[in-house]
Amino acid sequence: MNLEAANRSYSVRARRNHWKVLLQFPTMGIGIALMSMILLLTFIGPLIVPNDPLTVVMSERLQSPSWQYPLGTDHMGRCIFSRLMAGAQITLGVSFLVILTVIIIGIPLGLVSGYVGGRLDAILMRFVDGLAALPEFIWVIAVSGFLGPSLTNMIFSIVMIKWIGYARMVRGIVLSEREKEYVLAATVAGTGTWKILSRHLLPQVISPVVILAALDIGKIILIISSLSYLGLGAQPPTPEWGAMLNDGRPYFQTIPELMIYPGVAIMLVVISCNLIGDGLRDYLDVRSR
Amino acid sequence: MTQILSIGAPILELKDLSICLHHGKQHQILVHDLNLMLRPGETLALVGESGSGKSLTANAVLGLLGNSLQISGGQILVCGEDIVPWSDKERRKLRGTGIGLVFQDYQGSFTPFIKIGKQFVETLRSHNSLSVQEAKLQAMNWLGRVGLPAERVFNSYPFQLSGGQRQRAAIAAALMLKPSLLIADEPTTALDVLTSETVLDLLDELQSQTGCAILMISHDLRQVLKRADTIAVMKEGRIVESGAAEVIRTRPTHAYTKMLLKSRPLLTEIHAQLLAEEQALAGTGDRLA
Amino acid sequence: MLHLIKARLVQLVFVLFLLSILTFTLMKLAPGDPVLLLLGADELVVTQDNEAALRKELGFDLPILVQYGQWMLNLLQLDLGTSYIKGKPVLDELMARLPTTMELTVGGLIVMIMISLPLGFLAAKYPGRWPDHVSRLLALIGASIPSFWMGLLLIYAFAFKLQWLPSMGKGSWNHMVLPSLTLGLAMAAVYARLLRAGLLDSLSQEYIRAARARGIAEWRVMLKHAFRAALMPVVSVFGMSIGSLLAGTVVVETLFSLPGLGSMGVQAIFQRDYPVIQGYVLFTGVCVVLINLLVDLSYGWLDPRIRQGKGDVS
Repeated sequence: MNLEAANRSYSVRARRNHWKVLLQFPTMGIGIALMSMILLLTFIGPLIVPNDPLTVVMSERLQSPSWQYPLGTDHMGRCIFSRLMAGAQITLGVSFLVILTVIIIGIPLGLVSGYVGGRLDAILMRFVDGLAALPEFIWVIAVSGFLGPSLTNMIFSIVMIKWIGYARMVRGIVLSEREKEYVLAATVAGTGTWKILSRHLLPQVISPVVILAALDIGKIILIISSLSYLGLGAQPPTPEWGAMLNDGRPYFQTIPELMIYPGVAIMLVVISCNLIGDGLRDYLDVRSR
Repeated sequence: MTQILSIGAPILELKDLSICLHHGKQHQILVHDLNLMLRPGETLALVGESGSGKSLTANAVLGLLGNSLQISGGQILVCGEDIVPWSDKERRKLRGTGIGLVFQDYQGSFTPFIKIGKQFVETLRSHNSLSVQEAKLQAMNWLGRVGLPAERVFNSYPFQLSGGQRQRAAIAAALMLKPSLLIADEPTTALDVLTSETVLDLLDELQSQTGCAILMISHDLRQVLKRADTIAVMKEGRIVESGAAEVIRTRPTHAYTKMLLKSRPLLTEIHAQLLAEEQALAGTGDRLA
Repeated sequence: MLHLIKARLVQLVFVLFLLSILTFTLMKLAPGDPVLLLLGADELVVTQDNEAALRKELGFDLPILVQYGQWMLNLLQLDLGTSYIKGKPVLDELMARLPTTMELTVGGLIVMIMISLPLGFLAAKYPGRWPDHVSRLLALIGASIPSFWMGLLLIYAFAFKLQWLPSMGKGSWNHMVLPSLTLGLAMAAVYARLLRAGLLDSLSQEYIRAARARGIAEWRVMLKHAFRAALMPVVSVFGMSIGSLLAGTVVVETLFSLPGLGSMGVQAIFQRDYPVIQGYVLFTGVCVVLINLLVDLSYGWLDPRIRQGKGDVS
């Protein structure tokens, strides 16, 4: 048997084990299935129902479901289904953007602060403690309050506070890892700081960061939709789900559907995120054991 | 040590007792067909290394096996009555008044954030209809009997006492309900040698005063040799040898017993000897240390 | 214990300092000239003269550091400035709205405790059985429902369809029922799970076995011996999530049109009433640190070992 074939059969076995482990966590399976359905719908939906989510047709306002408008129209005659689909892209897109930015800021700062230590570490951590003493939503209110309510300001203020958790966690891991033999050995062997950080320490922090991010994403979606509902985030006519709820509020007693659909959408997405997050945490915990 | 004549019906009798661990659909028998008998005023030592099933046996007698463990066969006769089929409530009544427990981890004898006195009063009032004042008097009396400064200990939190003091308090708490059987589960393992000897002396003394039977669980064959009347040696869930202490000491038959006896001279003995010499020198030495 | 309090007080000063710099900077960065805004609010014809006069009156012609120093001096005398819109001192406005927010918070906490206590106890008493599964499911839903949406559903059901309760404004006690439910329900599910975990952990401790061996009744073992230790993690998470509780009050107050601090903050943002926003941010910041101080103190009450200054909690 040549080496390549051996490798291939090994990787197939490894992949099978992956699936086996995955099956041990049915909650993650449900979460992934739910999330895939939502994603599929957001991609296929606009093809089936090619209405523009922003077009106002006042003559067709508050219509009940039909072939043209599967979920009816809102108070401005816009297709609710199309708006929901567009909202999914905004909500998911923005929260992934936030998480990604936060990770990109948090990991290097945590790595460097933990590994270099000394005064840099002390100053950074003091600063971080001060920021983190206040809940994130106060920061969001302060920033969007002074700079004006908008989607970008909201994203900016969430990122401003969220990176702290990641930097802190990464720093903690680095502090404990850098004293271990393999890092010491690499240092003694003359490996450069950059290489130690990227080759030895970075891989150690990846899976805890992934777990934290997976558990965070549901919360971020909720923050975004809550702030948009308050009018501090996405502004109308943007079809963000929270903003849609705010928009439809005056009509919801007569047409509760206006309120039901976006709410259910938020709930389903957050539930699937939480299921995946919990499952991922258990799964990666098991693997690291 | 003089033999107290073993008369009357046995306090505790185990007949073919088996204990089984359930883990999902699998089950594993941890204690096999155990037979023991204990008469009033007698001390029986159950000896074996950790995992031999001796503590499980004690828990079974107390009815504190937990969810995954079950008695899969045999009988536990307390004063001639089989308690295996009893309800939780009946067993609770038996605990405390019928059977007392003193155990290894003196840290865990009392709930850490409730004052000792309060726990004494609570215990007394759980079994007898007493006023708080009466219960307090009884508790103080018993604290005095085990050689503790009653007033101070009564108003102390467990962590404010030393290990020896806590174990004395635990003995008082177990004996004040006048149980006919006291289970001492490794009562001295967590204590230093000097303290453990005085604690065992105290147990002896109180036993001769109250006439209760003691089931002593220990991993230390040499320490129990001079304390127990009968000894049963356990290994892997079975009793491999049992008999009068004198016989076990002088004519052990089973290889395992011989091995336990032969193990290196124990500090216990050396210290006990030193202690005896010291006391002889000092005349009436303060045993409370 | 003392050094804990000291550390918190140092943190309080530091946070206040940080906040003051932040809000001051943001205020200076904020788009729109507050002088023009003020003049515009009075609907006067804006002339160069009265603009300059007002600028001078507000001290906006001075160097930035002097402005900060002056602002800080005022702050230390509890002068938080004057609302642009209402023309009243910000502190008075804060104090006028504080009781409503406190009522709402207490109401929410009562709902939370009344639901999470029994749910947590049941789940811990029967781990892996149906009460446990129900509480797990509720926790998942509770953590996934946006609170404003739940509030809307409650309004629809109880205020609109059944017409049992008022949906907005402040008045008698029944105005607080739906807001308290909205605030409390979301928290309840999470705390029930926390309480379950804490109880399971403390029930596995040796001293529980000792208490049972002394023949103490099971309910007493649960309530007196296991509960207190189980509260420790619950309280510490509570301290960490004060923020989301306050965020909840902002949402709920806006949703139910309650005249509390949170709805004041949101209104101020839309009206660009910067002194009020600043006052709100500073005030809530202080509250968060103070509540955390209370949480720290409660550890001492929960565990006498901490009160006695014994570090090792074994």
